[in-house]
Amino acid sequence: MQKITIKKGHNINISGLASREFTNAPTQKFVSLSPQDFNYIKPKLLVKEGDHVSLGDALFFDKINPDVKWPSIAAGTISKIIYGERRTVLDIIIEIDENDEKNSDPISERNLSSREDVKNFIQNNNLWPFITQRPFNKVVDPNDSPKCIIVSLADSSPLANDLSFSLEDKKNHIVSALSNLKKLTDGDLYVAVRGDNFSFLSDHDFIKLIQVEGPHPSGNIGVILNRVNPLNQNEVVWTVQGSHLPILGKLFSDGIYDFSSNISIGGPSVKPSYFKSRIGARFDLYKDSLLMDNVRIISGNVLTGKKVNLDGFLGFYHSSFSVIEESFIRPFVGWLHPGGKSKYSVFNAYLGSNKKSYDFTTLQNGSNRAFVPVDAWEKVFPMDIYINALARSIEANDIDEMEQLGIYECDEEDVALCSFVCPSKSDVGAIIRKGLDTIYFDK
Amino acid sequence: MNFLRKIFEETGKFVEEGKPLSWAYPVWEAADTIFFSTNKQTSKGPHIRDNMDIKRTMFFVVIALIPCYLFGAYNIGYLNALAMEIDRGLFANTIFGFTYVLPILIATFVAGAVCELTFAIIRKHEVNEGFLVSCALIPLTMPPDVPLWQVFIGTSFGIIIGKEIFGGVGTNIFNPALTSRAFMYFAFPTKISGDKVWAVGPDGYSGATALAIPANPVEYDTASNLFAANTQFDFSTMNMFWGLIPGSIGETNKLFILLGAIFLIYCGIASWRIMVSSVLGLVFTALLFNLLNYFTVDGILLAGGSPNAMLTITPLQHILIGSFLFGTVFMATEPVTSSHTNTGRWIYGFLIGVLTVIIRSINPAYPEGVFLAILIMNMFAPLIDYYVVQANIKMRLSRHV
Repeated sequence: MQKITIKKGHNINISGLASREFTNAPTQKFVSLSPQDFNYIKPKLLVKEGDHVSLGDALFFDKINPDVKWPSIAAGTISKIIYGERRTVLDIIIEIDENDEKNSDPISERNLSSREDVKNFIQNNNLWPFITQRPFNKVVDPNDSPKCIIVSLADSSPLANDLSFSLEDKKNHIVSALSNLKKLTDGDLYVAVRGDNFSFLSDHDFIKLIQVEGPHPSGNIGVILNRVNPLNQNEVVWTVQGSHLPILGKLFSDGIYDFSSNISIGGPSVKPSYFKSRIGARFDLYKDSLLMDNVRIISGNVLTGKKVNLDGFLGFYHSSFSVIEESFIRPFVGWLHPGGKSKYSVFNAYLGSNKKSYDFTTLQNGSNRAFVPVDAWEKVFPMDIYINALARSIEANDIDEMEQLGIYECDEEDVALCSFVCPSKSDVGAIIRKGLDTIYFDK
Repeated sequence: MNFLRKIFEETGKFVEEGKPLSWAYPVWEAADTIFFSTNKQTSKGPHIRDNMDIKRTMFFVVIALIPCYLFGAYNIGYLNALAMEIDRGLFANTIFGFTYVLPILIATFVAGAVCELTFAIIRKHEVNEGFLVSCALIPLTMPPDVPLWQVFIGTSFGIIIGKEIFGGVGTNIFNPALTSRAFMYFAFPTKISGDKVWAVGPDGYSGATALAIPANPVEYDTASNLFAANTQFDFSTMNMFWGLIPGSIGETNKLFILLGAIFLIYCGIASWRIMVSSVLGLVFTALLFNLLNYFTVDGILLAGGSPNAMLTITPLQHILIGSFLFGTVFMATEPVTSSHTNTGRWIYGFLIGVLTVIIRSINPAYPEGVFLAILIMNMFAPLIDYYVVQANIKMRLSRHV
């Protein structure tokens, strides 16, 4: 077991962390798969409204890489396909037919002895979208050979779904998923855990267990890779969401599609809890737990998540909803405020500032200003990358310099804290994404 | 409060886009967000943000300067009373001082605001609070009896040439406050060249500042002896620390400058690396010069030439005389014009310390070297950063064999 300690970073103590117990909720009737959750794809639909789909049936494929198809995450009928501007597909909503799901036959063809077998299995059952890659944070190209595979079971983001709790009874499937994923690479299979969680994984030699310590973003795969096996130019690393492991595991070992997933709902404006739910779940089933009307519902965490409506759905790679208040308050001379419990800052800029559990709102807490490098980003960015210089090379559109400064190692989520602390209210994640886009479309 | 809010909402309608007065939007926005914090919301991730913003950051630097203002005003009154041979008391001394400080402050802010707002309107950018810090710093670098028209011109020069022609806050190369100080130094040398005494006294009142004493000694001696021999002012170490000596308004009291430094470091606004490394650089160079002046080869000083009393100033005296501490704490740490990498900050600060002593001791023209040292290093900061970043690039390339 390798141990890494991340010193730079910050755990945002936002209130509304779910305690480790489940609350009952009605079963989901609708789920959605949104092509918007996947970077750099050109989706081509294979279904239309009213079609009947079985579990795992292909819903759409990527025109750039037609081998990659997206599985239906439920059995039932396509109830609605929502289009956005220029007919981009926003949501493919499926009405679940529970009987169909129960009566689905297991996949009989399950030869998983070699790498080709595993690849074929993933290909035939439309499972590629579960595997993403760095750089670019996109669905993998099946023809690539990754230098290693990494899975993080140590999510450190605020109000994160605690996988050591929500995956508690799925040990066998986790091991099954990992053992088959290992076949996809000649390199190592890294699994990041926190403390003594998932200690059963240490029994398996094919897993390189990494124990991470320290504040967010210590659980991000980008940060862990930067320490254990840095990503260089022309290299690719594959990764799978920790919460997706049981789904893959159950398919590998039993041949059964089971898209159930334990999700967490947290945040200052909601009664926090865990729910037995499924991938692509709709939020409105949980609206009873809202504590106020004027809220922003976020699929994912408050740093990198996506804003959704009350009847919006959980993103494909997300395993939690976060809810914060939409605030429109304009405090009188707020910049003169002495402090107190209504202020949260990583700077020591407020007297008696409440750093234990703070009710964050959607306020930006300041106007956008020209960037002033007060050493704030660097304090919460633990990689050996000069993030400030990198951001400037991106603004200057200098691809060579971006590559030299290590843009491939970064992703939006790794710099989300930089945006959080920035007194100039810059969006560093958007800058990094802009740089990655520039490089991606240049090639 | 509602009434005030209403005024802003009503006047805001006149500066909306498309309205004839829309050019005045930056001015309206500045006033509006000074009175009421913005309710701008996040649109996407991160959905939550820290409570620190640029307004508060800049405001904190101004807070750190307030003790220097108070003491500066008192010191003007104190030195005046000393020259007039009267006894006035603490309060009256401070009031007397403020009759000199306030006009300078007002002249600076008027000049600064006019320049900043004009450029905000022309360039259509929002008014950046950074100019408040520049304007708060400039009076502290002035002699108390500086003519106000000079302050006005100096400030305008600093804001426009030091900042706005480079694109405003965030892209400027030179510290605007120091640019204006340097401009005035060379444009109006009779007023602030630094060797005449900087105090308000009766007509014809003159004397030498601490730096001028070893720079122009009547007869060579060590700096400590020269200080001790001066009868006009008490240049003892303790007194120079407490700041009851002539000098720029804000530079003399070292305790209050240190308090400001601790405050800024604690809040995480100013870089402690720059402050520490520039003191190290100064101590290193001063000791080196002390040594050079001590050793002789065949009766000739290693330092060469005639004996130079400036070389005998001890590191502690270097820190206490002139505006070294003030410049280090408030000017060198200006985030935009200093180095942007932590390694770079160490080098940048160290070289400021080195250059300060070199300019003070070896250059015969200017007794004070801090502002020149900082401006020179402002110029080199991007170069330092370039090499620091190149080292990181080489590391990344070497990993990728």
